[in-house]
Amino acid sequence: MPDMVSLDRAGPQQRQFNPYSDNGGTILAIAGADFSVIAGDTRQSEGYNIQTRYAPKVFKLTDKAVLAVNGFAADGNMFVKRVRQRLEWYRHAHAKDMPLRAIARLIQTMLYGRRFFPYYVYNILGGIEEDGSGAVYSFDPVGSYERESCRAAGAAQSLVQPFLDNQIYFKNQTAAPGTTHPKHLPLQEVLSLVIDSFTSATERHIEASVGDGLEMYVVLARGSQLQGLENVPNVQEMTTTSDGERIFIIRRELKKD
Amino acid sequence: MASADGGAYSYSLTVFSPSGKLVQIEHALAAVSQGTTSLGIKASNGIVIATEKKSPSILVDDSMLEKVAVVCPNIGIVYSGMGPDFRVLITKARKSAQAYWKMYGEYPPTRVLTQEVANVMQQATQSGGVRPYGVSLLVAGWDNHRGPTLYQVDPSGSFWAWKASAIGKNMVNAKTFLEKRYNDDISLEDAIHTALLTLKEGFEGQMTEKTIEIGVVTVPTPAELEAGHSGAATGRPKPTFRKLTEEEIRDYLAL
Amino acid sequence: MSIMEYNGGSVIAMVGKDCVAIASDLRLGNQALGISSNFQKIFPVTDRIYLGLPGLATDVTTLRELFRYRVNMYTIKEERDIEPETFAHLVSSTLYERRFGPFFIEPVMAGMSKTPSGGYKPFIAATDLIGCLNFAKDFVVAGTASSKLYGVAEGLWEPDLEPEDLFETISQTMLNAVDRDAYSGWGVIVHVMTKDKVITRTLKGRMD
Repeated sequence: MPDMVSLDRAGPQQRQFNPYSDNGGTILAIAGADFSVIAGDTRQSEGYNIQTRYAPKVFKLTDKAVLAVNGFAADGNMFVKRVRQRLEWYRHAHAKDMPLRAIARLIQTMLYGRRFFPYYVYNILGGIEEDGSGAVYSFDPVGSYERESCRAAGAAQSLVQPFLDNQIYFKNQTAAPGTTHPKHLPLQEVLSLVIDSFTSATERHIEASVGDGLEMYVVLARGSQLQGLENVPNVQEMTTTSDGERIFIIRRELKKD
Repeated sequence: MASADGGAYSYSLTVFSPSGKLVQIEHALAAVSQGTTSLGIKASNGIVIATEKKSPSILVDDSMLEKVAVVCPNIGIVYSGMGPDFRVLITKARKSAQAYWKMYGEYPPTRVLTQEVANVMQQATQSGGVRPYGVSLLVAGWDNHRGPTLYQVDPSGSFWAWKASAIGKNMVNAKTFLEKRYNDDISLEDAIHTALLTLKEGFEGQMTEKTIEIGVVTVPTPAELEAGHSGAATGRPKPTFRKLTEEEIRDYLAL
Repeated sequence: MSIMEYNGGSVIAMVGKDCVAIASDLRLGNQALGISSNFQKIFPVTDRIYLGLPGLATDVTTLRELFRYRVNMYTIKEERDIEPETFAHLVSSTLYERRFGPFFIEPVMAGMSKTPSGGYKPFIAATDLIGCLNFAKDFVVAGTASSKLYGVAEGLWEPDLEPEDLFETISQTMLNAVDRDAYSGWGVIVHVMTKDKVITRTLKGRMD
């Protein structure tokens, strides 16, 4: 029986399916005193292959909350969809938007709910708190989170974060005698730091994972001035209500190579 | 013991004679002084090396004979003595120049290359089973460090820098001639003519572009230096040593 | 475990206006365990060349001695100091000799090279562990914090910095990059070289 012989020799076989992928890209958020900036590049890649030059990673959740999602794009998109669904249920039940700190806690609960089959995504939530202050919350894939005033995540995190430590937190810088470093930077300065961070990352990041386009969301606290936002090219307002926080989006080109 | 043929000391290369001589080296020098005359002159803005090229028969295709050889873009060598020995040395010199280039990304300074060749020649005076090289060399080159320099290397492996020198059959006369003609601020053009005049003294037969060879070292201009300096990665710097073509030699002879 | 991260450490070099700077951290580690906070990785080669050797510590010592030997031989043979460009090629060929059993070092060089007109111009270069040369015009980085160094340097560096400004830029770049790298840190040393002198400063950042 030759067939049986060959079958014996075949030995054990193993098959595997890997449900995850890394789609590159970088996200970044910085909180100001009365505003928050949440940004991300728009390239979606897999290894050295660019899947698309325009796939948003930053999403408006409410008029005061913006969520940036980086990692496995399919999980990211699904996750945003589910967060939005929960926020809508909240609106139906309570007739108001969920406060930012509550959204942060909701995201933790949702992420931890998948503790043993996680969403392969790093989340950064930016927006305005109930007290009118700008806020940034950053998460790991299973829901650990903290409130910070700035955070970078994704492929170019290692390039951008130490730069932000230096420029936002003034790490390793000593203030002139009798002065202190500001706790928050003005919007104009924050925007130029964000642009610098992304152009630097695009310039140096090896692999085809950062570039193409940049989307920066700006959330302004209720009643605060435009702070020069009106003069920024390519700015577009996305606010839906008239007396609350205001949301703007600024689009920019990044290098495509 | 002393005899005309060198006696018992003449066969073993590595044995000194009682008078302190290595007679095989003396014999090698004798072989050199039977070779055709070569000379070199250092000018204020370059160097010329030249030699007489003699065919044993009119039937020989003299385009095959090469007595002035390019070692690397900045160095050339001319010889008097035994042609085959010279070819071996040139091959070694070229390899050495390329090895230097591989290591440092630039060609060797003239002195380093000369030292390397001199070493090869010295080893032939001390190793078993070999004879000394039967050639003297004139090494002419340009480098960043020392500018244009002219060296003579003898079969013993000793070498010196010269302002002008001659080797081979007519070297004594030629040197006397050069001593009279030489001055420190002679131009390269004048040096080429002096070289031709010197060769002409005691030249056997007709001096034509077929019977002499000339090599020249030129000093790069500051602009060329600046370009060559940054050209390490982009392009090759212009060679500073080159052989004159037959046309160029004919023009010099006509003057 | 990557052998390049076994001992940790990082080096960066930057070009300024008629000056160069080179800086490294001072940590020597055994994986996560810190061993020394005064482990020098940058060595003078000539009066006008500094060489940084981040990577496996045993190879730092070996290569340092090997280059000392080769540069001394060069100096004696050629009766002159080696030029930065030439030295860079020497580094490259020395590493490539071990193409299939490399030293685990990614050298970074900084120096002032002689111009034909008699002046000096800044020079920096880096290679990978088998000697592939990178002659950058702005800055070069290597070591465990290299990606962080790239990110910060790309944001802070600008052309034609004067020596004091270059010192500030390279120091800030180094300090902030190594603070985000577990394998680098424990102090920083900075050398700023102009045509006639070298200023060396040791910095204490966060020592954790």
